[in-house]
Amino acid sequence: MRVDRLNLGLIVAAAGALLWATPFAWMLVASLREGLPIDIASLTPSGPFSLGNFRSAWESGPFLVWYLNTILMCGGIVAVQIASASLAGYAFARLDFPGRDKLFTAFLAQLLLIPPLLIEPNLVTLVHLRLYDNLLGVMAPYFASAFGVFLMRQTFRSIPIDYEEAAKLDGAGPLAIIFLILAPMARPAMAAFAIISVTAHWNEFLWPLIVLSSPSHQVLTVGLASFASGVEAGSDWGVLAAGTLLVAGPLLVVFIFFHRQIVASFVTSGLK
Amino acid sequence: MDLNRRELMIGAAAAAAGALASPALAADPVQIEMFFPVPVQGALAAQMQKLIARFNQEHADIVVTGAYTGSYDDTNLKTRAAIKAGKPPALALMSANFVREYAINDEAEPFDDLIVSGGSTADAFFQRFWTPLHPNARIDGKAYGVPFQNSTPLLYYSVDAFKDAGLDPERPPVDWGEWLAAAQKLTKADGSRVGLMFPGTYDYCGWLTSGLAMANGGQYYNHEYGGEVFYDAPSTVGALSFLDALVNGAKAVPPGVSDANACTTAFFSGRTGMMMLSTGALSFVRSGMKSPYKVAFLPKALRHAAPIGGGSLICPKGNSPERRAAAWTLVQWLTSPEVAGEWSRFTGYFAPNKQAYELPEMKTFLSEHPDAKVALDQLQHAVPWFDTFQVVAVRKAMEDQVQAILSGAAKPAEAAAKAQRAAEALLAPYVNQTALKSWA
Repeated sequence: MRVDRLNLGLIVAAAGALLWATPFAWMLVASLREGLPIDIASLTPSGPFSLGNFRSAWESGPFLVWYLNTILMCGGIVAVQIASASLAGYAFARLDFPGRDKLFTAFLAQLLLIPPLLIEPNLVTLVHLRLYDNLLGVMAPYFASAFGVFLMRQTFRSIPIDYEEAAKLDGAGPLAIIFLILAPMARPAMAAFAIISVTAHWNEFLWPLIVLSSPSHQVLTVGLASFASGVEAGSDWGVLAAGTLLVAGPLLVVFIFFHRQIVASFVTSGLK
Repeated sequence: MDLNRRELMIGAAAAAAGALASPALAADPVQIEMFFPVPVQGALAAQMQKLIARFNQEHADIVVTGAYTGSYDDTNLKTRAAIKAGKPPALALMSANFVREYAINDEAEPFDDLIVSGGSTADAFFQRFWTPLHPNARIDGKAYGVPFQNSTPLLYYSVDAFKDAGLDPERPPVDWGEWLAAAQKLTKADGSRVGLMFPGTYDYCGWLTSGLAMANGGQYYNHEYGGEVFYDAPSTVGALSFLDALVNGAKAVPPGVSDANACTTAFFSGRTGMMMLSTGALSFVRSGMKSPYKVAFLPKALRHAAPIGGGSLICPKGNSPERRAAAWTLVQWLTSPEVAGEWSRFTGYFAPNKQAYELPEMKTFLSEHPDAKVALDQLQHAVPWFDTFQVVAVRKAMEDQVQAILSGAAKPAEAAAKAQRAAEALLAPYVNQTALKSWA
């Protein structure tokens, strides 16, 4: 009886995994088939296979520049976010000041705004800061993440206050408490947040498109669209699949190598 | 004004610094940006950058940076935001039917003064462009747009499928009756082939619907005034009924909404006998279709009508006279017969500049590619492109209903009435300020 239930669970999980993996499998297969084969939808074509699509995708634009810009953008955002979210999260979790909870609610209200609404005001601010057509300009609006602050506040609150009191007795100030005592204990939550943040910004299209103009500042998603989108005519699926794999590749590699740690941090932090 | 002054001061400071450093650098080239979308797949962005590099080489006094800006909708969004933020590009390649809205909102600068100062008149200048392109570019008598890349819908059909279905590939359907009959004959009962496919996605959907309504004798929208649409007119309702008959009656078109990818993929693999798609797809189809195919005019109901699509160059508001002058030099270069012809051969769009077709390269190209010749001949039946106040939202008011018809969830008459009501609500603010202005 119990074995049956276990088997059933396995079958359902396997079916889900298969369903999820099929588009990826197709993308891999399609990326290896040059030209416009008639049976392009097939998962098990007979070939011929080649890396030609990857070559034409790679030659369609300065991929190295796009990679570098994307890594700088995502890395910059997540580094500042973690620092700012830790500090603000600590303030909301531990410091006592008048209007704290009201301020926190107001802060959370940010989550309700749909980002496209802020495109124009944010861009006006960037121009005043002289950050138009600048990677820093793409990053700036994300530096204070409401979600990150919320997450860090909850995490800090779940850590017993005794640790801090012990540290205080030993003469630690608030910054030492945050970064030497609390931050290491909150590492799983931070890792989970970092993954969500990097994935989101790696895949972001509209905001970088709005802020950046110079080809040398461009990021991967916009670069991919510049040769792979074909609203009016149709797409060369092979090149599109190869380009998409080039864009998603680094994230996929990171996931394959660190999947154990990644899953662990999501489980520990309770995020899904 | 404030910004201009600040820019002037910065410019003056920079000039002074430059003068101190090296007096030879006095005449700095004008730096401008051009926003351009890529609506058809392929190496278009790279090709545009090559064109811009060539322009920069030929013009020592101007440096143009080409910025790829996504789709036509993305380009519109980015250009609007850039204008609001005080960083307008000197030139933007805009969907030709957005130009009217830029004029209505006073967000673009017409080119007339630049045309005149070059010793010409707007009428003389526009003579080089095909006449159906004028209404989307010259708004209320002013030249807000200059046509750069244009297309119309075209009927593509597979020669093998026609033969297989007992149709004569030399005689494509001419009117809607023949079209419906051909689509039915091409449809196989086992589902291995449908008669006709066309994109029902946003933008394409409205474009094709407007073409059908105009082929059915209608106007679809007021071509002179951006506050009126004729969504519930008999000509439009009839066009919707024809779509309904194709999809839900004859079952010769797959139900639901297909996109351009689905259409071309099905066409290449012989799973649809015909497709209605942009002439901008000609190069793509030519390279992808392995079996013989032909193209034909869109079939007529009461008349032939092929709506114009594509993009025009506009100069967003807020540019200095120097930048506008540089942009105008670029416009003239990009729309010259040579460059326009080259772009047309590379992309599959037709060249808006008629003079391009007098060049020997173009004559050779047309004789080698009879499909491009059909697309060009269809221009005699071209009609302007849907352009109103709040053009995207008003267009979607109809598209949502057409998509419902394609999915079998709505019937033509009610759908048309609903679309009309939604469109009128969207147009009301503009109409109340213009046609229905209060005189009390």
